[in-house]
Amino acid sequence: MSANTSGLVGQSVKRVEDDRLLVGNGRYVADVNPPGVLHAVFLRSPLAHATITSIDATAARRAPGVVAIFTGSDMEAITHPFPPFAMQPDLYTPLYYCLSSTTVRMVGDPVALVLAESRHLAEDALELIEVDYEPLDTVASIAEGLSPTKPQLWEKANGNVLYDHVHTFAPGNESVDAVFAGADRVITERLSCPRQSNQPMETRGSVVEVDPDTGHMTIHNATQSSHMLRWIGAALTGKQSTREAAKGIIANKERRKAFLAGAKSFLKENAEGLKAQDNDGMKSQLKADKSFLKHANLIGVGLLGKDDYPDVVAQDIGGGFGAKGSIAREDVALIAAAGELGRSVKWIEDRVENLMDGGQAREEDLTLSIAVDDDGTFRGLKVDLVIDQGAYPGFPVGAPLASAIMKVMFPGSYNWDAFEMRSRIVATNKGKYVAYRGPWANETWARERMVDIVARALKMSPAEIRLKNLIGDDQMPTAMITGPKIDETMSTKKTLERALELLDIDQFERDRDTALAENHYLGLGIASYHEAAPGPPGYWECVNPGTETLLNEEAQATVETDGSVVVYTSQMPHGQSHETTYGQIVADELGVAIEDVKLVFGDTRRTPFSILGTGGSRGGPIGGGAMKYASRAVREQLVDAASKLLEADVADIEIVNGNVHVAGVPARGVTFAELIAQTAGDGFEATRSYRGKGDGGWSVATHACIVDVDLDTGKVTFPRYLVVEDCGPIINPAIVDGQVRGGVAQGIGAVLYERATYDDDANLQSATYMDYLIPTSMEIPEIEVHHMETLSPGGENDFRGVGEGGMIGAPAAITNAIEDALSPFGARITSQYLPPTKILELAGVISPD
Amino acid sequence: MTDTQSSRLAAETATGGSIVDVSFTVNGSATSVTVEARRTLSDVIREDCELTGTHLGCEHGVCGACTVLVDGQPSRSCLMLAAQAEGRDITTIEGLAGPDGELHPVQQAMMDAHGFQCAFCSPGFLMSTVALLDENPDPTSEEIREELSGNLCRCTGYQSIVDGVERAVKIMKGGSK
Ligand code: FES
Ligand code: FES
Repeated sequence: MSANTSGLVGQSVKRVEDDRLLVGNGRYVADVNPPGVLHAVFLRSPLAHATITSIDATAARRAPGVVAIFTGSDMEAITHPFPPFAMQPDLYTPLYYCLSSTTVRMVGDPVALVLAESRHLAEDALELIEVDYEPLDTVASIAEGLSPTKPQLWEKANGNVLYDHVHTFAPGNESVDAVFAGADRVITERLSCPRQSNQPMETRGSVVEVDPDTGHMTIHNATQSSHMLRWIGAALTGKQSTREAAKGIIANKERRKAFLAGAKSFLKENAEGLKAQDNDGMKSQLKADKSFLKHANLIGVGLLGKDDYPDVVAQDIGGGFGAKGSIAREDVALIAAAGELGRSVKWIEDRVENLMDGGQAREEDLTLSIAVDDDGTFRGLKVDLVIDQGAYPGFPVGAPLASAIMKVMFPGSYNWDAFEMRSRIVATNKGKYVAYRGPWANETWARERMVDIVARALKMSPAEIRLKNLIGDDQMPTAMITGPKIDETMSTKKTLERALELLDIDQFERDRDTALAENHYLGLGIASYHEAAPGPPGYWECVNPGTETLLNEEAQATVETDGSVVVYTSQMPHGQSHETTYGQIVADELGVAIEDVKLVFGDTRRTPFSILGTGGSRGGPIGGGAMKYASRAVREQLVDAASKLLEADVADIEIVNGNVHVAGVPARGVTFAELIAQTAGDGFEATRSYRGKGDGGWSVATHACIVDVDLDTGKVTFPRYLVVEDCGPIINPAIVDGQVRGGVAQGIGAVLYERATYDDDANLQSATYMDYLIPTSMEIPEIEVHHMETLSPGGENDFRGVGEGGMIGAPAAITNAIEDALSPFGARITSQYLPPTKILELAGVISPD
Repeated sequence: MTDTQSSRLAAETATGGSIVDVSFTVNGSATSVTVEARRTLSDVIREDCELTGTHLGCEHGVCGACTVLVDGQPSRSCLMLAAQAEGRDITTIEGLAGPDGELHPVQQAMMDAHGFQCAFCSPGFLMSTVALLDENPDPTSEEIREELSGNLCRCTGYQSIVDGVERAVKIMKGGSK
């Protein structure tokens, strides 16, 4: 059967989304206004660490327009705390409620929720709530987090180090230490990455719509994962007395049966993955804090006893970059409040709140040692990582998962004899650490920075030392030292070779000399890496046993009785253009125009289940794979029906522009609607789930940039920035280029402009866009994107994710280029954040204060 | 006036807040609203006029997502009080397309160029671009970058937006508008 009749995959098809978005017809969460909706604002702590000695909302409750106020203790009575998720050996995850009642742990910690007739009136009432705080000493940095003399943020932890674990990989006969002892030299450097923030242009927000007749809740929310929000929302707000729950369980016999049957089939289907789950993770958690068991039981009983679960409807979303993959404390508070009041409530975060508590990331200290022979051969790598998690762990993913991925990806695309990594996570009084576009990206930054440092020490060029150590095709198939399989799709070495061809090094050397006359210093930097997008089969078992089960994506394709094509995905688009790319895939499979395909997403009443939604570069490979196979199955049904109707062989049936006919005689064909009418069907339907089958799963790139450093001002510009990327066959080149460039722009921001700054007492200093600087069109250069489209040897759906890579490679290439530019001054770059003052210090133009 | 609006106004009056009547034109239609004096133009456009195409990214005058044209000039509606719009002529993103839905050349060009991703920033960029090309129909790419530097986009890295403006210049020079 010919699949690609219309051949849209591979073309820069115009975006389907733009029909509504470019005329102002998008429907973002702030645009949703159910009748009689109440407006929510949160009272937030002005102190980074304090005990709440009293809170009095009496006057605020009487203020005009105020309908209700919930304090921390009000919420504790009706909600459950966030439970630990993806537990790991030696990790403690503190439990916390949606509002804080006795202790605040960061500036911006929510302590009360006000609901009023308008946002202004709710904000007026905030000022009338009286809270007495008793300040506590603060933990404001990684060093303070490691210090035993600082106060502890979490009572049940052992100090502020919540995770400390060493992973060792030495597959040969020698131990890591023996490999290090046997190498010609060991080079060590301590690198640090300050705090950044995801900062999507749309802040977080939620509208919980309550049906006045039935009390049923529909949650409109800017979430990357609607199903997770639904179930976590239901679970954490389902608090009931045991008696009530028991009554509910008995009354809801049918639902209880369905629920248990669902759970049973989930356990059966995922038995292997669940068996692999690390029980030592649970042991570590319970050793510190047994309360999780009690809450887990109550959550289960509460869910079973509930009459009704909320639905989630997420539509247009103004970006997320990982920040909207978390279930927010605010989300839980709003659902609970709406349930108590029986009224619709709306919260749209403001930018100041978003900069405080909308998600921050990447604050990490990394000490790297590389054991290397004098000829440049890498022997061993040791990493000592400390992540500053801030006050509250992101739910469900945050620092622990980032460290688990780094432990697998740190060796990068190079050959090593041994690798060892110690990871620690510390709690501090700062905003919560969340996943940010390539949450493990600092492994690439630190490793690629370190490779340059080693090259300099050995007087080799950065390209030469990389080419010497990168795993090449001649070694494939093989595996990373940390376990995941490698095939030709891990084409890092080829992307580097291509980048070197594209760079005109001689011209660069001439420009470098000319620039000097004007006190400008040019530098060239490269960085090469592969990323799991979403990784080969078995990858997630190396990261955290048991998590591979979560990767699954399901899609449903239907042809309705009127002939229209409607497809359903569990993905949750928020800027990635799924309606266009999935439209291309389905149109090709079914032989229809892209305009004829309608994608349904984000609505838990209609879309198939997936816990993760959009995240982890799974949209193209896994979600796209599910979509391809679901629509292919529907095509088979169409062709089957047509072969009977037209009395022709299945192999002779063609579908072109929605016309189903015997090859060569389109005039005697039928439309989908006619086919359905004449074969007395109710339409066609197929559901497929997909998890990737030997599709390589690696996305790869080399970034190369030339920087121009002006030593009069410290300003850094980019005469050239190029990316050679390989994400396999491309669905839509314009969309891929956009993803790569957007990621690079965030990488440029990270190095030159953006920093979530806290003072010594953990007070946030960057609470507006005057202080948190998002780069503009003046700071981001043109970025050349070159494609390689390596096919996997045994895969069946070769699309690979491309959403995260731009941000992963950029900080390394840029910092390497700046060190190269400042090499006449002997500069050594050890921080990822290099604002103009830092540049001038590194060049000795000004002295550090 | 909806029930929500009247209960909001009643509560506002109870706080002693003052209420004003404001009349202006939005996308060609004469409009009168009765609102709290402290309400911003962006709030009134989004809530009272129910034109939600104008977005709020920061509410402190930096991101530009809320840009609308006030008497043809690009203005940050989050920084203006509704009362300041008295007698003015306002255009929002909903007012760009023709009456039969024909896209404005800038909208068409942005679509052709894959200008946006999440498009949350797009109302601001579209309105700023319309104003820019009105003033300077043939800007260099440097000028485009300079003029649009008051609008933030977190998704695209700007190149596709600059390409879109350049395409719009071509379409408009071609005389289709
Ligand atoms: S919302 Fe007005 S400038 Fe950001
Ligand atoms: S397209 Fe998302 S902010 Fe511009």
